[in-house]
Amino acid sequence: MAEMIGARDLVVELGAERGLFRRRAGVRAVDGVSLSVTAGETFGVVGESGCGKTTLARTLLGLQRESGGEIRLENAVVSGVAPSLARRQRAAVQYVHQDPGAALDPWWRVGATLAEGLRIQGLTNRTEAADRIAETLRAVGLDPAFGERYPHELSGGQQRRIGLARILLLRPKLVILDEPTAGLDLSVQAAVLRLLRDLRDRFGLTYLFISHDLSVVRRVCDQVAVMYLGRIVEQAPAAELFAQPRHPYTRALLGAAPRLDGKAVAPTLRGDPPSLRAIPSGCRFHPRCLHADMSCLEREPVMQPVAAGHSVCCHHWREAA
Amino acid sequence: MSDMLASAPEAPSLMTVRDLAVHIPTDAGVARILDGVSFTLPPGGSLGIVGESGCGKSTLLRAILGILPKGARVPQGQVLFQGQDILKTPVRGRIGFIPQDPYLSLNPVFRAGDQLLEGMRNHAPGTRDDHRKKLINLFHAVQLPEPQNALDKYPHQFSGGQRQRLLIAAALACDPDLVVADEPTTALDVTTQREILALLRSLISERNMGLLFVTHDFGVLSSVCEDVAVLYAGRVAEYGPTGNVLADPRHPYTRMLLACHPDRATDLIGIPGTVPAATAQPPGCRFHPRCPISRPNCAVAVPEAVRIFDGSRVACPYHADPLPEVALG
Repeated sequence: MAEMIGARDLVVELGAERGLFRRRAGVRAVDGVSLSVTAGETFGVVGESGCGKTTLARTLLGLQRESGGEIRLENAVVSGVAPSLARRQRAAVQYVHQDPGAALDPWWRVGATLAEGLRIQGLTNRTEAADRIAETLRAVGLDPAFGERYPHELSGGQQRRIGLARILLLRPKLVILDEPTAGLDLSVQAAVLRLLRDLRDRFGLTYLFISHDLSVVRRVCDQVAVMYLGRIVEQAPAAELFAQPRHPYTRALLGAAPRLDGKAVAPTLRGDPPSLRAIPSGCRFHPRCLHADMSCLEREPVMQPVAAGHSVCCHHWREAA
Repeated sequence: MSDMLASAPEAPSLMTVRDLAVHIPTDAGVARILDGVSFTLPPGGSLGIVGESGCGKSTLLRAILGILPKGARVPQGQVLFQGQDILKTPVRGRIGFIPQDPYLSLNPVFRAGDQLLEGMRNHAPGTRDDHRKKLINLFHAVQLPEPQNALDKYPHQFSGGQRQRLLIAAALACDPDLVVADEPTTALDVTTQREILALLRSLISERNMGLLFVTHDFGVLSSVCEDVAVLYAGRVAEYGPTGNVLADPRHPYTRMLLACHPDRATDLIGIPGTVPAATAQPPGCRFHPRCPISRPNCAVAVPEAVRIFDGSRVACPYHADPLPEVALG
């Protein structure tokens, strides 16, 4: 199947200074990430805050310049160019902000916000723009009259829909959804997830789905990558990852999610993730890992295949299973 | 856990909310935010309040904490805390509060210690040195790293999970009998959330405190609370032991809401319509415009709480009727 977006050994360094007099190493927010997202699928990225999910998204989007590695978009290499050009090259990639309320200008009617995107993309004909906006609002399940409203007149679910309409107008191929259900009530969340699925089928979209809600990820994603401190530690089809997690971190993460029956299924993960400024030696998960031994301190594990489409980055995944 | 019905004998209670209504006048008319809310929390008990945004969770908390917004009226009802109506005579220092957002709840320009000691100065006996000692002990209890130095640190020197530990310590600082928590883990990662919830559970039960826990996460609810009250549009739709309500929900709203949970739903459908505005509550049962099994009578009569078994009630006369499959996904 065709690849929509892919990355090989992607490295993103943040906060580095390379001046004449001051040199300072940055932190590697993304440190050697390789992934491949097939067209038409929903690819989930999960992990704790600070693991590099959002930086990865910004880099794929072209807002953040990569320090190394390669990004492919529809089999063409799009990395290694200046940010302004990168963003233009990647117009097929669009991003839905985590907090759609904050992403809307409170002084603008939402219709004006929607039209701005079209204007930037070069559509100046007002009637055509108005038609497309009305059509898109209907596609996200809103009446075209919503264009006359101000952001504060919308509920949380309606703001999400506007956030989606805003990028659908630009006819994207890949949509990066950053925590698309954070802060939504259950009933609204269900409606938004259903809408996302319908839109994907209707417009032939591919989703990169960033979330820390594992119940939702399990529900909507085809593939899932688990990130820890800038690395992907496990990747598998969603059904397999949730049924047979191999990496100790994945197990702990899945086990920590609160369950409806109130039962605890895995030992808790102790402590916070270490800082990116002091990444542990060897396997970067070893200080929090129940299975760590000397080899984990000394050698950094590499990705190993477990089954078809399932790979894990751990020395001991066989024993730990 | 005690029964709600007025005829039942009074069990010892830490907090009893009886027929509470809170109205707030607005430009669009009177917002009837709470309307006849009743529940009882026994000493050492834990009650979860669940419901969607706009159902009155926050107003209920504010009424209990005595910080209702200006202009709010309480036309009926009582909030009895250890037998005393706190709507008339506010209690100080005996109810601890854990806020929702650990990032917004500490002032970034003051040291953590100064902010925590400020509350204790007014509400806890003893000198400032006693208070400092007490806080350091609490920091040990909430497993804050370097408890000796934590008082002198600024909020940005703590991670999100550590700030929430700090705020739990603050809530316990005056030895309250009741702790009220407003979605204390929504801003945290699942791994941190689990540690914080385990910590909260053990601290509360060690000290035999009551816990009122507001959440919209049923998973969190089932790991923390013995009982649950499901609020809808300012009324209690269903009340009972958490395990029973989650395994066998009776009110159509609870049934449909639980069917929206990604772990439960076979298809994602949501609940048609939205929670009504507090200024335009429908007559009769407030859920009837969205209810798939509503009958003409539902638009007229306010449903009485029906007792299912001791300690469990549901505000729907048709709770035994099956819902159409399409409504449950």
